[in-house]
Amino acid sequence: MTINHHPSLETLGSLAAGTLAAGPRLVVATHLAGCPGCRKLVGGFEAVGGAFLEALPASPLPPELLERAMASLAEPAVAPRAQPSSPAQRGLPDAPVPLRGYPIGLWIPLQPGLRISRVKIPEDRNANVILLKVAAGRQLPLHGHDGTEYTQVLSGAFSDAMGHYEAGDCIEADDDIDHLPIVDKDGECICLAAVDGRLRLHSFMARVVQPFLRL
Amino acid sequence: MTANSSRASGSPDELRRLVNALADHRDKAAFARLFNHFAPRLITFFSRSGVARETAEEITQETMIAVWNKASLYDPAQAGVATWVFTIARNLRVDRVRREGRRSRTEFDEIEESTFAPSSEDYFLANERDARVRLAVDALPDDQAAVVRMSFFGQKPHTDIARELAIPLGTVKSRLRLAMAKIRDAWERDA
Repeated sequence: MTINHHPSLETLGSLAAGTLAAGPRLVVATHLAGCPGCRKLVGGFEAVGGAFLEALPASPLPPELLERAMASLAEPAVAPRAQPSSPAQRGLPDAPVPLRGYPIGLWIPLQPGLRISRVKIPEDRNANVILLKVAAGRQLPLHGHDGTEYTQVLSGAFSDAMGHYEAGDCIEADDDIDHLPIVDKDGECICLAAVDGRLRLHSFMARVVQPFLRL
Repeated sequence: MTANSSRASGSPDELRRLVNALADHRDKAAFARLFNHFAPRLITFFSRSGVARETAEEITQETMIAVWNKASLYDPAQAGVATWVFTIARNLRVDRVRREGRRSRTEFDEIEESTFAPSSEDYFLANERDARVRLAVDALPDDQAAVVRMSFFGQKPHTDIARELAIPLGTVKSRLRLAMAKIRDAWERDA
């Protein structure tokens, strides 16, 4: 699998710093799971945090802090492994590792050939993360957004005026999209998308359904 | 401030030996030395990221106990000890901020444990990379350094940085992008 589209350097930097919002973080983490190049970049950017930590002035250490920590040291439990897909992840047989354990809502048909499901992020209820299933040859829904939008292609492929996107690619879009993304003719396309801000779906049906998706 | 004084207290090599002692022998004296090295800096780190002093001490404890529990997962070929401790602290802080949710493990943990393949590279390479990154950060122009510092130190999202510096959001992003490109070049050049 060749990956041609990656999150921006500033996004990978924010992920390393720990400042990327929960929704985009899940999408970018999903990209990282399949992209050794971006993992290497994030690893290097984490060293910025290490360098800062080493250079920070020491705060006075209350003497009882070490004692308390020593007292609570135990033989470490075996590190828990990644959870298998939960039954809540209906309709997504091979969820990538970072996505496992996040409950997925009902698949709601939005228009012919398009189903959409909300990914629930318990640690950030305002996060807007959705899964999109688009049938072969269909158009992805027109939409606008206030902040940056992150889209990770999980399976299948689509094209727009800017390029062709396949499984493993991550598309980061700052502005409203005004080109027309269309799924390849040879199969459906599943994408994970998050918006750093509010998502506005344009079609009439989408506006009807939006409140139920709580987007 | 370079990383190459290998015998000095708190040098990358010494820190690595201490973490290995935790992993191999459950060495509590080694833990105490790591604690005395990192805990005072972690308290500063958490305090500057906007949490109360008491909470800062509490997350510092959590971070150091996680260092004890995860010592066997530390891979010196991936990162220097300071970088590894930073990632643990960062994840705990992210968890803390979103504590109202029931989920406590972050996706970082899962990637760390199940996706990153152990590397056979010499640990020297990770220390070398970390040292180069440090030099690159020191060499950043002031405007870029400020944005990077607020992001990593203050744990502030881009919108907060823009507001505080009274510059457009796009400028925050472009400065961060330039800074990250320079930092990347620090280890990609002749690597």
